[in-house]
Amino acid sequence: MSDMAGTNDARKPFVREAPLAALPPPVRTDGVLAWLQRNLFSSPLNIGLTLVCVALLVWAVPPFVRFMLIDAVWDGASRADCLVTDARPAVGACWAFVIERINFFTYGFYPTPDRWRVDLFFLLLAVGIGWLAWLDAPARRWALVNFFVVLPIVSFILLVGWPAIGLPVVPTEQWGGILVTIVVSVVGIVFSLPLGVLLALGRRSTMPAVRLVCVVFIEFIRGVPLITILFMASLMLPLFVPDTWSPDKLLRALIGIALFASAYMAEVVRAGLQAIPRGQYEAAQALGLSYTRTMGLIVLPQALRITIPNIVNSYIALFKDTTLVFVVGIFDFLNTIEAARLDPKWSTPVTGSTGYAFAALFYFTLCMAMSRYALYMERRLDVSANR
Amino acid sequence: MIKSGMTETDTSPLELKPATLRSKIAVDMVGVHKWFGDFHVLRDINLRVLGGERIVICGPSGSGKSTLIRCINRLEEHQKGQIIVDGVELTDDVKKIDEIRRDVGMVFQQFNLFPHLTVLENLTLAPIWVRKMPQRAAEEIAMHYLNRVRIPEQASKYPGQLSGGQQQRVAIARALCMNPKIMLFDEPTSSLDPEMVKEVLETMMSLAADGMTMLVVTHEMGFAREVADRVLFMDEGQILEVADPETFFSNPKHERTKLFLSQILR
Repeated sequence: MSDMAGTNDARKPFVREAPLAALPPPVRTDGVLAWLQRNLFSSPLNIGLTLVCVALLVWAVPPFVRFMLIDAVWDGASRADCLVTDARPAVGACWAFVIERINFFTYGFYPTPDRWRVDLFFLLLAVGIGWLAWLDAPARRWALVNFFVVLPIVSFILLVGWPAIGLPVVPTEQWGGILVTIVVSVVGIVFSLPLGVLLALGRRSTMPAVRLVCVVFIEFIRGVPLITILFMASLMLPLFVPDTWSPDKLLRALIGIALFASAYMAEVVRAGLQAIPRGQYEAAQALGLSYTRTMGLIVLPQALRITIPNIVNSYIALFKDTTLVFVVGIFDFLNTIEAARLDPKWSTPVTGSTGYAFAALFYFTLCMAMSRYALYMERRLDVSANR
Repeated sequence: MIKSGMTETDTSPLELKPATLRSKIAVDMVGVHKWFGDFHVLRDINLRVLGGERIVICGPSGSGKSTLIRCINRLEEHQKGQIIVDGVELTDDVKKIDEIRRDVGMVFQQFNLFPHLTVLENLTLAPIWVRKMPQRAAEEIAMHYLNRVRIPEQASKYPGQLSGGQQQRVAIARALCMNPKIMLFDEPTSSLDPEMVKEVLETMMSLAADGMTMLVVTHEMGFAREVADRVLFMDEGQILEVADPETFFSNPKHERTKLFLSQILR
């Protein structure tokens, strides 16, 4: 018998006589070694996995760093600077090529004297996104107006031109590079959410005609590859519509991408709508809120909040899908790299890899930014959900 | 947002006139039937509730008592018969439905507060968007009713941070902010811990003392005894017995009522 049994009569239940104050949690045995042991070397399988991972890192990281930084060429005027010579036994990334062609990658064939317009567009866009994304920003209501009303109009005038105020028209055939990638993705992102919300609401509507139209639209668009939609938009549309009516090639691709993205967004939003309990609708109705108010004030704010991870997932996918516009001859960022890499002036064994590494960096940075922002947003909006 | 001068008791400077009914009859149900698919959930309901009357509806689960009061603000649609709420008949006319919903407050078993809004925003939402009240006035009224349900200090919290009893009191305050003529309570204490039932019942009793027209679905027989003008017993979609609480509890006529009462009163 232990001490405990001796002091407490086993037949009598234990009753605390003095109140017990809340105690701090037990001290954790932390430290680097304890952490390593617990997380990396806790079992034979875990030890094996750890060793495999270390081996993979050793195999992959040093050559990558050597290519990207140590052996990289930063200065140069032509292919000769990026070739292997006696003085330079190993050549990594030819950044000189990227640096020299950076304007082409950014603006495509946008006329040089007018490139300030693109720069201004990038600046306005960055400010607009920043204002919208910063949740504690002053006058956030105006940030919305700015982003969805002012910015599109100003950007259109800036980029396309308006001779009346001294901005010569720049046809979209001359647009290219990062400019086109950004325009296509932003338009896709901005239009797909509201359209997707409308389609999702329509699909859950009690009116059969509305529901049918939305279901057919969503299922048709989702059942067709994006490339097909782009081909349809750029090659088949002109067959049906007279030439003079036929809209701009870039505009057609933009519409195709926005519709494609909104069909996917509709299903993402629908999932969120279905997660909202019936009681929320009933409480709103019982207070006399109309359908629009119920949706706009009660249901959608909650539904969109829980779908943030999926919405961002769609955005990231959309952002990378914009590279497909090359099939209809639009000069997006990846396409400019493709063209520059084939230029004999810079033709070296590393030019292609350098170009693609640059593209990877570009896409990775922006996708990562989107995903980190979404995480921040989730955590911020979680305050009301902690129960 | 909480005004420093306010205390726990109802000392708000705000003078709120209780809404008065246009007609003497608050709710008139004549030959009402309702089906869920093939299931005949309400069978020939005839019920006339006068202004200021407090009705308690009880009965076994599945007897149609929740459906009955949910028909009054058209959360459920009746398929036969007539329901007239304060002189306005409930039809497919959306305008009339909205009109009635504005004037009929409802409290749910599961509270159904809006979790993404603070307590104060929960209370001011409908006055601002439905009654078109300026925000300041709506907040003033909201604080008045939060005082009345004795939780003004929770105004800036989210519903998820409150206890069940507090949430239900917020839900009552939310309904009151619309200055309703009739209040419907759908098992308001059934999902509360026993300790919290009392605080919600007290709030409801004080409301009854003010002369509010109330229809309450509940199994709280103590409440029924103390507050109700009439107690209704329902089973299988029908009203089997209507009586004042004294008669209802001491001398029920129907066998089914006797059985039910013997089950819930020890």
